[in-house]
Amino acid sequence: MPGKSPSVGAAPPPRRNRKARRGEARAGLLFALPWIVGMTLFVAIPLVLTFYIAQTKFQIVGAPKWVGLQNYEALWTDPAFWKSAQNTLLFAVISVPLKLVIALGLALLLNRATALSGFYRTVFYLPFLMPAVAGSVVFMLLLTPNAGPVNIALEAMGLNPPDWLLDPKAALWTLILLSLWPLGVETLVFLGGLQNIPKDVSEAADLDSPKRWHKLVWVTLPLITPMVLFNLVIGIIYSFQVFTQAIVIGGTTGTPAEATLMYMVVLYRAAFRYFNMGLAAAMATVLFVVVLILTLLIFQTARSWVHYEGGER
Amino acid sequence: MSKTTFAAPRRISRRGFLAGSAALGTAMTLPAGAFAQQEGQLLLWLPGGSDLFCKIHTGLLEGFSTGAGLGTATTVCGLGQDTEFTQALIGAITAGNPPDISMLWDSPVSLGAQGAFMPLDDMMKDSKIPIDTWPAGLLSSCQFKGVTYGLPVTAGVYSMWYNQEMFEAKGLPSDRASFPKTWVEMRKLSKEFTVWDGDKLVSAGFMPNRVPETMAIWSALNGGMMFDEANLKYQIDSEQNVEMMNFFLEWLDEEYKGDFNLVDRSGNFLDGYPNPTTGMGPAFREGRQAGMQSGSWLLGDIFADPVPSFERWNLAANPVGPSGSASFSGTWPNWFVIPVGSKNPQAAFDYLSYLAIEGSVEWYQQIPDVPTNSQVQRKAPAGLVEKRGQEVADDITAFLGEQAAVVTPMWNSPVQSFYTDQIARAVEKIYTKASPVKDALGEAQAATQAELERVLAG
Repeated sequence: MPGKSPSVGAAPPPRRNRKARRGEARAGLLFALPWIVGMTLFVAIPLVLTFYIAQTKFQIVGAPKWVGLQNYEALWTDPAFWKSAQNTLLFAVISVPLKLVIALGLALLLNRATALSGFYRTVFYLPFLMPAVAGSVVFMLLLTPNAGPVNIALEAMGLNPPDWLLDPKAALWTLILLSLWPLGVETLVFLGGLQNIPKDVSEAADLDSPKRWHKLVWVTLPLITPMVLFNLVIGIIYSFQVFTQAIVIGGTTGTPAEATLMYMVVLYRAAFRYFNMGLAAAMATVLFVVVLILTLLIFQTARSWVHYEGGER
Repeated sequence: MSKTTFAAPRRISRRGFLAGSAALGTAMTLPAGAFAQQEGQLLLWLPGGSDLFCKIHTGLLEGFSTGAGLGTATTVCGLGQDTEFTQALIGAITAGNPPDISMLWDSPVSLGAQGAFMPLDDMMKDSKIPIDTWPAGLLSSCQFKGVTYGLPVTAGVYSMWYNQEMFEAKGLPSDRASFPKTWVEMRKLSKEFTVWDGDKLVSAGFMPNRVPETMAIWSALNGGMMFDEANLKYQIDSEQNVEMMNFFLEWLDEEYKGDFNLVDRSGNFLDGYPNPTTGMGPAFREGRQAGMQSGSWLLGDIFADPVPSFERWNLAANPVGPSGSASFSGTWPNWFVIPVGSKNPQAAFDYLSYLAIEGSVEWYQQIPDVPTNSQVQRKAPAGLVEKRGQEVADDITAFLGEQAAVVTPMWNSPVQSFYTDQIARAVEKIYTKASPVKDALGEAQAATQAELERVLAG
């Protein structure tokens, strides 16, 4: 018919094709079903329950009793909530950028092709495999004030080392320092990004400017911004949830003098030491909202600084 | 007639695999109650302790069960201390599959008041262990609003431990009667032993208290209290307690350079055990500390590694504070409870009766946790007799019995853990000069009272 060309896309697919696609979709759904069931049982339902329990008085034994917003009001006036929020925020603000910079530096070093590249990559990833509790205990031994190897070495150099984990002024900084130790995942993510940079782009950058930092700032960094975004978001989420090292080092009271009292420790002790599930759920809800807002903000700003190969995402 | 058929072997289809996965998932989410304990077979949970501790309790329960014709009994040892154990116990109670009896190392009041443990008052009435056979101060650690939720079958009794040889080396009398009777005398005596080498504490006398759990004892020694159970009112920032902390702080400043970190860098002057983190040995056992407050459990451990560098030590009553009028002791009991949902509550109570009277004697013989029921005929621990002789062992056993009768009420709050954390926080703030005494205690008072009222409301 003149003026009307047959549209291939609009043509109804043959019946056998439709049947095959439906069958494929059903199979896909079935394969995804275990994950969907797991997600529903272990994530979605607990999440909804958390929002509900946050508005109840629930001591584990016995039924929850509706109290409305009382738990949130209690949080507002709880010094431990504010102290832990302050510590956690400081921890996140300092440790996340530090982690990113150090992991990027390591990734740039590991990206160099040498005979021992594989060995170094394994070595840098290995600490990630060590349980956090064991790692924390090792650091506690290393940083023991009088007999720890770190202080012995510093004293031998004529320095006056701090009481790393005993001095309230030093303890949080020590915790931040310890958080920089297992950087395997962040480094690997950056390394993956660096190895995906097309060779021709890299070579062209070398020709354009002999200065290495020019290439790093104008070519390498822009091309790995998706990895920076990933590490930043994951880093923020993890740093707000810092728990294992904090509780091993500072216990449930954030010794010394609440210097290591982190948000998740206060949440944990409310739930499992004081059996105040309502308050703990309220804390979890607040944390969820704060992390969600931060993540959304980062994604919002990411449009202006994250560059994807092949266009905007 | 039934017929058994065997399906032909088939390849696993996607649908079959998914169905199997779903069935497995459902089975894994079944409540623990599906595997509940049998009636007539006692199940006991223990929070922790050594292999010997587990062996003693396993033997005691087996012996009782066999004698009572109850069949197989099971003792589950080492389920984790403190919070982990309580979590496991609460999990079992809420799942409807608790043990018949459980030992606790934390006060049963908090969970008892919430309905996790069976009230024992009715069962005690016509039993071998009626209420009046228990020291009131000790039993209060299991009671709330007149209801008894557990029994302090044995207890570590707190008293002053001192190195007689260090006293004698200074030409001081080392008998119990001559031990300082007041805090002022103890502080004065302490200086005799304290030696600094620069910032290293070479040896010490006694230390101002900084153990949150025992603050209730020191408060009582100064005529105060931490928790007024009758009126459900905390007294953390009372005049006596402010005076107590000021006394300790001045003592720290005067004798220990105002810095517990310096003390801790020099050794473990906190208790009679090696520090598990730093590995530093106990200054008391090393002969570098003249005395300290400790629980009677140390009687069993003091001869173990590290072996004391001296042979003669003794126990004395806790000295009295400036505003106090009498000496008190304190305890850290081994509590026993019958969780709600126990399948054999009467048999469990019968076992507690046996344990409180006959069993605790055997227990004390091997591990010196002091039997607390007044009907018990205590015999000195075998290890103590072997090392110090019958006379000294009998004397110490009698002394601990006397001390168990003058314990101040402690562990009697429904928000015990919250209170302990608040005291720990206040003590740290005071000793690190992060907060004045009155402010730190005031904050602890306000927070703990608010938590108590929250728990009691509804």
